[in-house]
Amino acid sequence: MNRTPVSSSNVVSIGYDPGSLTLEVEFTGGSVYQYFDVPEAVYQELMRASSKGQFLHANVKNNYRYTKV
Amino acid sequence: MPGSPTHLGTVQDVQGATISVALDKDTVSGLAFIDGHGYRIGQIGSFVRISIGFTDLFGVVSQIGAGAVPEALLAAQPYGYRWMKVQLIGEGQRGGRFKRGISQYPTIGDEAHLVTEHDLTRIYGMPDAPNCVKVGSLASAESIPALIDIDRLVTRHSAVVGTTGAGKSTTVANLLVSLSDPTRYPSARVIILDIHGEYHAALSDRATVFRVNADESRGEKPLFIPYWALSFDELLRVTPFRSVGDADRAALAEKVKELRIKSLQKQARNGVTPDTLTVDTPIPFSIHRLWYELYRYVCSTHTVGPGANQSEATEAIEQDSNGQPLLGDIMGVSPPKYRPITSGGANRVFLSGAQLNIRRQILALESLLRDTRYDFLFRPGPWCPTADIQNLDAQPAEDLDTLLRSWVGGDRPITILDLSGVPVSILLDLIGVLIRLLFDALFWARFLPEGGRLRPLLFVLEEAHAYLNTGNDCPASLAARRLVKEGRKYGVGAMIVSQRPAEIDPTILSQCGTMFAMRLANATDRSHVTGTVSDNLEGLFNMLPALRTGEAIIVGEAVQLPLRAMIEAPAKNRQPDSHDPLVYDPSSEGGWNRPKQTEDYPKVVENWRSENPRRTPTSGGTP
Repeated sequence: MNRTPVSSSNVVSIGYDPGSLTLEVEFTGGSVYQYFDVPEAVYQELMRASSKGQFLHANVKNNYRYTKV
Repeated sequence: MPGSPTHLGTVQDVQGATISVALDKDTVSGLAFIDGHGYRIGQIGSFVRISIGFTDLFGVVSQIGAGAVPEALLAAQPYGYRWMKVQLIGEGQRGGRFKRGISQYPTIGDEAHLVTEHDLTRIYGMPDAPNCVKVGSLASAESIPALIDIDRLVTRHSAVVGTTGAGKSTTVANLLVSLSDPTRYPSARVIILDIHGEYHAALSDRATVFRVNADESRGEKPLFIPYWALSFDELLRVTPFRSVGDADRAALAEKVKELRIKSLQKQARNGVTPDTLTVDTPIPFSIHRLWYELYRYVCSTHTVGPGANQSEATEAIEQDSNGQPLLGDIMGVSPPKYRPITSGGANRVFLSGAQLNIRRQILALESLLRDTRYDFLFRPGPWCPTADIQNLDAQPAEDLDTLLRSWVGGDRPITILDLSGVPVSILLDLIGVLIRLLFDALFWARFLPEGGRLRPLLFVLEEAHAYLNTGNDCPASLAARRLVKEGRKYGVGAMIVSQRPAEIDPTILSQCGTMFAMRLANATDRSHVTGTVSDNLEGLFNMLPALRTGEAIIVGEAVQLPLRAMIEAPAKNRQPDSHDPLVYDPSSEGGWNRPKQTEDYPKVVENWRSENPRRTPTSGGTP
């Protein structure tokens, strides 16, 4: 999956696959997580959010199942 | 001897197997009478005999007229003589049998003769040979039967091609009636994959019909294809899991294998142990349980977080008014009910920590398992294992042996697998599965009395262009390719029937040893067919667009030499149900010229909803 680099204190890049509704996030430190069944609207909001880290914590973590890649 | 009535002319030019004959000036054009029979001289596709000493060479006329003048003589005699081009095909000792291939060539001045019925009988052999069936008569001489060697026909595969309405179905019906003759071949066995349900009528007393939504009052039997007999790949293709990622796929394979092993531990089955079992071994397992367990694994919510030790005991299942957990119902395909996740508080509910990205596929499988159109696959009658919440899973009542016996070991020689009720989205996959299953069964049984080597099986693939497309990697194509490449060794033959040979994978078509080419108008189709036949007989194949209905050019291994035959139409009650509807019906029973009648559209909708074209309120049909 292609990830777009973002400017954030703890997120390096973000990718999204609309076919499988998978959100992929690379955190600083190099760990990559995939969140499942994330609607595209949430991804778009994330990309618009001024703070990616805060948005992820509030709306993605604990709301979607995930795996560490 | 120029005085002989059969004399046509003399050989003037020999180029490999092509020779040019200058017609004799005395040769009367038109008709010649020999032994009271009239013969037309110089017909394209007719045969010519050239005597050299004690050997007779035989050839087919491929061109006639000024164009057949050898190139070197073009300038000298542009018209003048009448010429004939002949393709040599075989030879016979005088009074002996005909053989393919040429041991010596004719030379200038050898005489070319008309082939009489007497010669033709010699070439085409005896009608009473036990391995030959008659499919009709020669187009050029009606008294001579067109004989097909069934040895070669079945094991070396065959193709029947021709435009719609050229008589393909009739030809196939005729062949099948001959092949299933109970007095001659009591152990014949033929399987027809019939995607339009055309052959019921023609073969009703010789065939067992298996059909989704079977009408038992018409003697049809229900078609069941147990999902657990599919290999893992095939199973994925017919379920929503066909597009999952590699990691999820591996997890699914592990799960399916685990379920198969559990089933085997409950009921041992000969030939396989839990150690030798693979994910593809046809051992019953419950796909309903697979769905239920995946649902509980992936879609559950828990009272502890994903990092903690989640198990069935930590599941946050809702309870009914009596305090009983709502566990759902496995065979009824209703999932357990989970409490929604919360973001905090004392009784916080967490998501499942399952690391599989297949939630949507699980939900799709749920609706697939509820879809009654797929019951022939996912609830295959006596072959359906049942699953239960209390782990009281039951093995299916029947095993694969009874399924195979009903398909290839029945009382009747022909089995029609009518696929007209199979949902189109999985039709290609299922055709692949059927071919693969039966091929595998006969492959592993090759040394048994019911195996293919001792009792060959003929597969008739109707409307093959629909599923054996060029460059198509669909399972039907792959399975058919394997069938035509390897089938010969295991006694499995294919008969490919199509009106669009150009759309059929050339690998498959070129493996067909015998070709029944009916009228073909389309140039692409024609060149495709001409390209795949082994004989160098373009002249003969140039006739394809002008063949009469019911007339076929038969080339290849099952016939002594290429022949143009008029296929006998089977008796009225044995004609396939494939003729076109009449727009103008002279009998006024149907068609546009019939007086308008009151029509029962509620009935239309009822048949549509029940997916049964023959549903009648009296018989009840199957809902």
